[in-house]
Amino acid sequence: MVAEPVNSGFFPSPRYSMARRKRSAGSRSRLQHGFVVLGLLLTLAALVMLAVLNHRVTKQFEGRRWTLPARVYAQPTDLYVGQQLSAARMAAELEGLGYISLEKPDRPGTFRRKGNELRVHVREFRFPDEKQAARELRLSFADNAITRIRDAGGKDVPVVRLDPLLIGSIFPIHGEDRIVVAPEEVPALLPAALIAVEDRKFESHHGVNPLAILRAAFVNVRAGQIEQGGSTLTQQLVKSYFLDSRRTLRRKAEEAVMAMILDARFEKTDIMNAYINEIYLGQEGRRAIHGFGLASQFYFGKPLAELDLPEIAMLVAVVRGPSYYDPRRHPQRTLDRRNLVLRVLAEQGVIGAEESERAAKEPLGVVEAGGRTGGYYPAFLELVRRQLRRDYDEADLTEAGLTVFSTLDPLIQRASESAVQEELQRLDQSKRKAAHGLEGVVIVTTPQTGEVVALVGGRRSGFDGFNRALDARRPIGSLAKPMVYLAALESGRYTPASLVDDAPVDLKLPNGDRWRPENFDKQVRGTVTLVRALTQSLNLATVNLGLDVGLGRVASAFEQLGLAEAPPELPSMMLGATNLTPIDVAQMYNTLANGGFRAPLRAVRAVIGEDGTPLKAPQLEVSEAVSPEAIYALDRMLTEVMNRGTGRVAKNQLPAGLVVAGKTGTSNDYRDSWFAGFSGTHLIVSWVGHDDNSPTGLTGTTGGLAVWTRLMSTIPTSSFEPLQPEAVDLRWIDYFSGQETSPYCNGSAISMPFAPGTLLEESETCPPSTAPSLFEELLGIDRDSSPEEPPVGQETAPEQAEIP
Amino acid sequence: MIRWLPLAALLALSACSVAPFKTESSASSAGGEAAKTTGSAPQPRSTTGEPIIEPEPAQVIEEPPPAVLEPPAPRPRPKRPPATLTPASEALVAQARAQRKKGDLPGASVALDRALRIEPNNPLLWIEMGQLRMDQQNYPQAENMGRKALAMSIGDDSTQSRAWELIAQSLRARGRNSEAAEAMERARAAAPR
Repeated sequence: MVAEPVNSGFFPSPRYSMARRKRSAGSRSRLQHGFVVLGLLLTLAALVMLAVLNHRVTKQFEGRRWTLPARVYAQPTDLYVGQQLSAARMAAELEGLGYISLEKPDRPGTFRRKGNELRVHVREFRFPDEKQAARELRLSFADNAITRIRDAGGKDVPVVRLDPLLIGSIFPIHGEDRIVVAPEEVPALLPAALIAVEDRKFESHHGVNPLAILRAAFVNVRAGQIEQGGSTLTQQLVKSYFLDSRRTLRRKAEEAVMAMILDARFEKTDIMNAYINEIYLGQEGRRAIHGFGLASQFYFGKPLAELDLPEIAMLVAVVRGPSYYDPRRHPQRTLDRRNLVLRVLAEQGVIGAEESERAAKEPLGVVEAGGRTGGYYPAFLELVRRQLRRDYDEADLTEAGLTVFSTLDPLIQRASESAVQEELQRLDQSKRKAAHGLEGVVIVTTPQTGEVVALVGGRRSGFDGFNRALDARRPIGSLAKPMVYLAALESGRYTPASLVDDAPVDLKLPNGDRWRPENFDKQVRGTVTLVRALTQSLNLATVNLGLDVGLGRVASAFEQLGLAEAPPELPSMMLGATNLTPIDVAQMYNTLANGGFRAPLRAVRAVIGEDGTPLKAPQLEVSEAVSPEAIYALDRMLTEVMNRGTGRVAKNQLPAGLVVAGKTGTSNDYRDSWFAGFSGTHLIVSWVGHDDNSPTGLTGTTGGLAVWTRLMSTIPTSSFEPLQPEAVDLRWIDYFSGQETSPYCNGSAISMPFAPGTLLEESETCPPSTAPSLFEELLGIDRDSSPEEPPVGQETAPEQAEIP
Repeated sequence: MIRWLPLAALLALSACSVAPFKTESSASSAGGEAAKTTGSAPQPRSTTGEPIIEPEPAQVIEEPPPAVLEPPAPRPRPKRPPATLTPASEALVAQARAQRKKGDLPGASVALDRALRIEPNNPLLWIEMGQLRMDQQNYPQAENMGRKALAMSIGDDSTQSRAWELIAQSLRARGRNSEAAEAMERARAAAPR
């Protein structure tokens, strides 16, 4: 109808001259003319609209292929002969990676354990250095260790990696996360099921299905509300692109037009693939789960390609309403709908009736959110993101499809989260009101390489909130003391046996204030040894020592250990008035745990591009920051903290014989409770406090150390055994007097390092020549050997001395 | 019961040998002895390795120290057997070397990171890492890896020698030839013959 006037408008008609003569005809012609112009304008507007919509939808469709958030993986588990790993734990780890136990493990992602023999079909995985093909492995175990690894042909394999755990992605601020899958990674059943359930005419319609819309409208009118959508898959895809759920008529019309445009311009298979990667399937905090690739990890902890019929049916069921059919919150409702999907699939002939019935008997099989499998660690991911931001733009990270290989150790991460949660829950139940509702932080590193293997930013670890591990700046209390002692030892004027005054301090500060610090117990002990002053965390002795060494030297010790900027040279810095973040503390203590070598903490080992090319990533670096003699002496003193000082309570819970070193920290009025300490292979920093900075009533021992000990005693670790530097002699001294003594005197003899030829006063009551008692002689204690181990003897009752 | 007889005999024997005797104590060993006879003040080393005079000794010494003689040597310490790699890290080191040969330095880095996770305290792996840093022309880090290996291999002459060799290479690459020669000298001195 419109077509004719438009056409006539373009070509002058012979009737035109007649119109002049006849008035009535003339007005009709003007009217006609008006229609022509209006028609022209409308068509133009429609064309412009069409062009705009075309541009918008095509840009989305083509652009989405390239906006892939960086995927972040945990450290892969290396399997090798001699590794301390039992068959049972290995099986548990495989289940954690979504491997399933089968009688015949004949496809990737399956395994079978029979006692101490384990057969596993490892998945294909593209590591940063090579693509590891899917392969079968046979492992033998004995005494909780791997004794042999062979491939399917019986050939020995020295070392092999499991595919790593996917721990999340770096998605943009608007919170969409996805794992994009290629068509060949999609089980054929999935598109078939989507068509059968959501859009039966998908293959033949032109983007919209008017009949379905009418049917839906009819059903809706009858029900009096919008219940059933008549949207095709293409329309759903368009709707998802523009994140607008308003159901206005105009939106519907726009969506329909865009769906038709997509259908006209692209192949059905491309549209189906875009749908599979785009559709919204769940929510975790501010993280929106998009696409079946991520949903498969999110709900089942394994790749999409490995899903079976009931699992695929459940995902298809969830499409209709991810919050209404949330399998974790509404399992029965979701199960009912999944079984409905299974029935529809059988009706439509996608699967057999028997198959459908069998699948309907299966449980949902959904894994715990952020639990055993498919972990999501937002606090650690934030550290990864910040480290990568040094080399990459935000857009590179959220769109360029990078693969990031991180340093996270899932086992230690989970242990860290439980340690924080359990200890804070215990405190919630304590009588101390101030200790209820606390927050906690844990950071774990491997000191030699400076790798961050676990990071907990708060008690709700799966929650993407304030990251205290990276951003909470709090006074560190006595954690600052080792810096004072390091400066003293490095000055060359002090040894662990040197004497300092634990005497009152009264300083006039530059601003005119007076500063009169006190010991924790308000006592004054007079002359004490350096080792005792640190072990018992004596404030006055530390301040007197630091003032003698010089505030400048103390401040630069912080920098030496790896703090970006030395703290202001105020006396209160020596007692930890400086505000630092837990990650700052971890960086400094990592140097103490690493024999004085500074290793910049890193959370990333390698990055590869979408095509597999290696890209820039932080590299392992070390630099010698402290003299070997000073660090050796300081580390031995920190070991004494655990033997007889403020950290000694940990002994009861730690595995027998495990040597550790560390330091407690408590800030003024018990606002912050810290512990930083290390074994030979792990440094753990823990902090406990309130977000509003109110007092907790806890010292470093009752808060931070409790979390620390719980964690250190659950992870596999080894003793701290630093090698004695060449230019050092170990000698026995008395803990209280600093005089040289014999290991056989009493419990107060400790072995400390000294520069060769250092003069030490000899103890009169128990000189170095004192012989062992009969008992010790019998035990075969060799007196000529280096006094590495303290002798058997009664513990001296240590003094309680934790200092704010 | 009869099992306890030799023990009882030993007990009696040791009872005779104990107490009144003055056996050699740890304090009067070589280093301590030398210090006492010369009467010199303690000689702690500064970070630069130069001896510095201690202005305020830990313990009070009455008489002023006489002219400084040779700094006393530390007590001789037992030697340790040369470090070895486990089969797993050996395989990874072999892989890293092959990758370096092909010019695949990022790949070699991944292999050595894996090995260091298995054996973070093995100085040989730090020397390998240092050699990779040489290939990457990151000479300061090559030297630092060598120093880390030195600190981890005290008493292990053959590893010390290899670490000094790496340090010498990294110094030479930066044109610090005299220091390189010194490091090479230390490598030769440490080499077991």
